Amino acid sequence: MAYHSGYGAQGSKHRVRAAPEPPPLFDDTSGGYPAQPGAYPPQGSDVAFNVNHLLADPMANVAVAYGSSIASQGKDMVHKELHRFVSMNKLKHFFAVDTSYVARKLGLLVFPYTHQNWEVQYSRDVPLPPRQDLNAPDLYIPTMAFITYILLAGMALGIQKRFSPEVLGLCASTALVWVVIEVLALLLGLYLATVRSDLGTFHLLAYSGYKYVGMILSVLTGLLFGSDGYYVALAWTSAALMYFIVRSLRMTSVGTDGVGGPAPRQRFQLYLTLAEAAFQPMIIYWLTFHLVR
Amino acid sequence: MMQPQQPYTGQIFQPTQAYTPSTPQSFYGNNFEDEPPLLEELGINFDHIWQKTLTVLHPLKVADGSIMNETDLAGPMVFCLAFGATLLLAGKIQFGYVYGISAIGCLGMFCLLNLMSMTGVSFGCVASVLGYCLLPMILLSSFAVVFSLQGMVGVILTAGIIGWCSFSASKIFISALAMEGQQLLVAYPCALLYGVFALISIF
Repeated sequence: MAYHSGYGAQGSKHRVRAAPEPPPLFDDTSGGYPAQPGAYPPQGSDVAFNVNHLLADPMANVAVAYGSSIASQGKDMVHKELHRFVSMNKLKHFFAVDTSYVARKLGLLVFPYTHQNWEVQYSRDVPLPPRQDLNAPDLYIPTMAFITYILLAGMALGIQKRFSPEVLGLCASTALVWVVIEVLALLLGLYLATVRSDLGTFHLLAYSGYKYVGMILSVLTGLLFGSDGYYVALAWTSAALMYFIVRSLRMTSVGTDGVGGPAPRQRFQLYLTLAEAAFQPMIIYWLTFHLVR
Repeated sequence: MMQPQQPYTGQIFQPTQAYTPSTPQSFYGNNFEDEPPLLEELGINFDHIWQKTLTVLHPLKVADGSIMNETDLAGPMVFCLAFGATLLLAGKIQFGYVYGISAIGCLGMFCLLNLMSMTGVSFGCVASVLGYCLLPMILLSSFAVVFSLQGMVGVILTAGIIGWCSFSASKIFISALAMEGQQLLVAYPCALLYGVFALISIF
């Protein structure tokens, strides 16, 4: 038969050898199972049932259709709720990074003292994405650094034979809670100071997430070179991070009104920035000293 | 004149469908011999599975972006089970950890790739790619059955295999999603995920 070659002659030959007279697996309402190769039951509806022996019952078809519609409804609901809290476009802006940006940004976080121009560049009032502007904050580095920190903490505890999965969860949730507290405190401070700045929640999240890079470096140095190495790395990364944050955030707080003098509002924001910068080494120390003994 | 291959089997007052032998795919299963083979009906295509496996095993070969168009989870399932089986041979009954970590890792990669790429990606595609690139990890864990991996040789071998897995995964993702300049950025989270699998193999 010509049409058998479409299925792969081997398969159909197999079938013919295996079951000369196939028993009906379901109730065939066409009144008999024709054994001739060219025959088919006259009613068209039976063809649909014959396709899939598992779904012979019409109720099963209805159930499958209902289930898939429920699933798509659930997905739509999740998307709607998510879009109410988080704007995907804004979030995507923070993840538009490439390898050279990440490499240069990491270098900047470790050694920010030679960088000259700290301003975030705009194109027609829209900030440029991180791909095109080294000074733009991104969320890729903080996210990866956070996850790396958790895994590194697990490994460090494992080396000290103090590992268990609960400790890993504890570490992760502690670090997350500190990030949330810091971002909320900064938002509160910015709100009280009523400054006009472009610092949205995601910007603050990014800047407070950059300290995880310093934490990872300190822990790695501590694991490789012992306690002294840990303190040296801690001092170096804390100083670099403080300088980085003060220089970056000072630019965003100047605003576009052109007033350069120390108005009380801007002085308050400067104090806020300095306080945040001073807060970083304490957090770094608090979250890492128990990993390096 | 009726051809012997086309017997007319309609009934009176019952309109019959046109019988076109040139399109055998248009109706399935009206007869036991006319059904497609079981594998084709299930969507398991051994040729494609073999092609994807070869792509993973040659990390330096350029990947074709279209091979990931059909998301098949049959290959990854087999690889996950094989990984668990080799761990079992070493005495570690940790199917639960493997399952949990792969679920969380796939979810994380799915979110990250959706945020980083211009076009979105489906969860099945992510799970399929990550599952295929687990193949070198099976080599590592079967090696761990015989030799202990806790010396310097073990560390170097583990680092090499993690690099191999994540390089293949990132290569496939880059070519399937057309992301430029981000291969290392995609490879790093894959390396973290496979690093956790390697930790299970070693300890």
